[in-house]
Amino acid sequence: MNRETLEVDVLIVGGGPAGLSAALRLAQLQKGSEPLSIAVIEKAPQAGAHQLSGALLDPSTLKDLIPDFAAKGAPLSTPVDNDNIYFLTQDGKVRLPITPPPFRNHGNYIISLSTFTKWLAEQVEAEGVDLFWGFPGQHVLYDEAPREGVPYEHADDRRASRPGTPKIIGVRTGDRGLGKDGKPKAAFEPGADIHAKVTIFADGVRGHLTKQLYRDRQIGIAAEPPVYAIGIKELWDIPRDRLKPGTVIHTLGYPLREEEFGGSWLYAMGDGRISIGFVVGLEYRDPLFDPHAAFQHYKQHPFIRSILAGGQLVRFGAKAIPEGGWNTQPQLYLDGALIVGDAANFVNSERLKGIHLAMRSGMLAAETAFEAIRSGNTSSTALASYKARVDASAIKEELYPVRSVHQAFGGGLIAGSAYAGVAMLTHGKFLPELSGTPGHQRMRMIEDYYGLAKRDILVPSNAAPIDRKVTFDKVTGAHYSGTHHGEDQPVHLLVHTEVCHSICGSEYGHPCVKFCPANVYEMVDDGAGGRRLQINASNCVHCKTCDIMDPYGVITWVAPEGGEGPSYDGM
Amino acid sequence: MILVIAEQKDGKLNRASWEAIAAAQQLSAGAMPVKVAVAGHNVSGVAGELAQAAVAEVIAVDHAALAQYTPDAFVQALQQLITQAAPAMVFFPHSYQTRDFSATLATRLDRALVTDVIGVTQSGGAAAFSRPMFQGKLTADVVPQGPTPHLISIQIGAFRADAMQKGASAASVATAAVKIDESTLRQKPEAPFQEAKQAVDLSQAERIVSVGRGIKSQENIAVAEQLAKAFGAELAASRPICDNGWLPMERQIGSSGQTVAPKLYVALGISGAIQHLVGMKGSRTIVAINKDAEAPIFEVADYGIQGDLFELAPAIIAELQK
Repeated sequence: MNRETLEVDVLIVGGGPAGLSAALRLAQLQKGSEPLSIAVIEKAPQAGAHQLSGALLDPSTLKDLIPDFAAKGAPLSTPVDNDNIYFLTQDGKVRLPITPPPFRNHGNYIISLSTFTKWLAEQVEAEGVDLFWGFPGQHVLYDEAPREGVPYEHADDRRASRPGTPKIIGVRTGDRGLGKDGKPKAAFEPGADIHAKVTIFADGVRGHLTKQLYRDRQIGIAAEPPVYAIGIKELWDIPRDRLKPGTVIHTLGYPLREEEFGGSWLYAMGDGRISIGFVVGLEYRDPLFDPHAAFQHYKQHPFIRSILAGGQLVRFGAKAIPEGGWNTQPQLYLDGALIVGDAANFVNSERLKGIHLAMRSGMLAAETAFEAIRSGNTSSTALASYKARVDASAIKEELYPVRSVHQAFGGGLIAGSAYAGVAMLTHGKFLPELSGTPGHQRMRMIEDYYGLAKRDILVPSNAAPIDRKVTFDKVTGAHYSGTHHGEDQPVHLLVHTEVCHSICGSEYGHPCVKFCPANVYEMVDDGAGGRRLQINASNCVHCKTCDIMDPYGVITWVAPEGGEGPSYDGM
Repeated sequence: MILVIAEQKDGKLNRASWEAIAAAQQLSAGAMPVKVAVAGHNVSGVAGELAQAAVAEVIAVDHAALAQYTPDAFVQALQQLITQAAPAMVFFPHSYQTRDFSATLATRLDRALVTDVIGVTQSGGAAAFSRPMFQGKLTADVVPQGPTPHLISIQIGAFRADAMQKGASAASVATAAVKIDESTLRQKPEAPFQEAKQAVDLSQAERIVSVGRGIKSQENIAVAEQLAKAFGAELAASRPICDNGWLPMERQIGSSGQTVAPKLYVALGISGAIQHLVGMKGSRTIVAINKDAEAPIFEVADYGIQGDLFELAPAIIAELQK
């Protein structure tokens, strides 16, 4: 096989805010000295296409990274004007008389993360950094000398994901032109090996390469288990005079029960465009709970409906959110590698913000990598200063005090709120370190949750009415995500198991069908009296929820062919 | 003058060329002459066929280097043709071939290009072109700016070929001389091949019977096949059918399959997810057969039959065979 190899100084895997901030910082640092070769690879076909967030931007890191961001046209057109927080009951709402400090957004901006990322990519490109859109990383490459007598190709493949081997030397990108059966088609092009002195993993929440590091290099062994949530988002165009641009509304309560963590956001962006979304902790107990259905129930609430009525759905998307906080950060450095942004779980789940932390970690990783390359030592000893930089930075300052807030919500809304309150008042001193359980382990079996009598139920406990005006089914949502995958390629959701049609039905009632927001998973008649799993991979919006939430841990998300996936213009 | 660039391959005219001519005729409404050009080698037959249309002139662009399509040769030839003819607008059918070369051509000419146009209107002296955005959810009216000619590609199926006006007598056929420097052609076409042996081009079919999940099992595909045969139609399917391997992937209609606009589209047991609808909603007449009266397919159907397809299909076949 003719596999191309590319040698660079720094390879950044992922073109989101963390990866692009790393690239830009490197470009800034090398100015006036011998230039570094920097490459950024990203699975999306163009900048911002796979970027989705609420989003509220705390501009603190941006001010440090690009001090003249306003002159450079940063798309921060909507400053937050007013904050509102409501507790919803089934038909009513109670406005919280004061907005708790973490929810106060004065000085922040309502942005489209996709648009912001596009702009950030322009700043990076202007510095002459090569951005490779449409190239997903598929395997972490380790430095293991090929063994005697083993043909190079085989040694190469083994090197591509081998546990316990010493140094990370880069990433292999995904193959193009494989057929559904996994065999090369006429236009087959093998992925390239990109070798780098330092590889910065910025592959986002539950990054599929960072996941390989969790497996191969046990980077999570000293950390709390990561905890995630799923965020489902829509853009709507509503009559312009309905909400003042800059209005921020957060809700708690309905349709979630006390046992489910989550809430909603609604941000008015100007010109009648609003961002509306719903977040649910991926640690719910009810195996038939359906986050997408919860979002539809939420949109049917009289208060929310009154905002959306007569409006038009413009875009749909979903993304997991790393909610676990400071204590869930993995080991951030390895021989030849650094981990940044969502991949390192740098999100403040109390303030509902992570973009500025992702950018900050990217900057710090760039400074570390720059120093290491200039000194000619990119071993883990040299790269360990990244951790020291993070510990001395605004990241720790912000995340440490609220380190167990999300875990506290595992004890329910009231306990969680009390914990959050104490954390806020004491800046995180005197608090017990709470340990989270991986979310998928909290899901209970049907029998356990619903009792023996209901073990065959298959209707979600929160099935949503679909009116195709305000509420839509998942397939329609997938359409509005603009997602596209060629049908004739290997399925990019690996489910190598028999559990789906053997025991999952009676144990959990096929929760994948429920938690996937894009109708990727379906149980269909197998024509022989049973049911089989059908994976509609072309609907996938790359949210990673299945990789996280499946109770047996048997679903593995890998990158589809480069350039495919959602199209999150404006999201 | 509007110049329509017709498309042919091996002397066979692409049907979509008639649609582009119809679009040009609609915009001109007799006020502006319409000419048609066709590029290739030995294209006099196709040029004669095009002369049936009510157009001012047919221009044959004949060159040995155009015998097989390459973007470089076509861009060179069309750039010279457009410069010589100096039209106000150039229309193309939005075919795969047009998609391949039109951006380069527009850049070489340094002129505006509006692609995938579904409607043309003349208002206040400026022509506006409608094109879909957000996968057909919104339609934008685009008024191209800058010096003419403006390059416009017309979505396949958006205009009706049979709305094209024929001339009382055949239009005159002229030949345009173009120079192609073969040493500058960077592509060298090899013999064409089809990856799948039985590949079908459903976009050229006039009638399609399309089958969805309602068919339940692979054995039942025969029911749809018989119905297609009775209609003299091509057989197509929604995604789940092809995903199951019950029909080959090239027969899939929808956002991840083919987009079609036949005269007759019979949707058999297809619920009508939006992903399917975007691939067939341009069909002239849509007949939907489905058990579920709430199925979204009925919202786009001209004729809807709520019922069991296993009862209805044989009845329709029997009726057609009378």
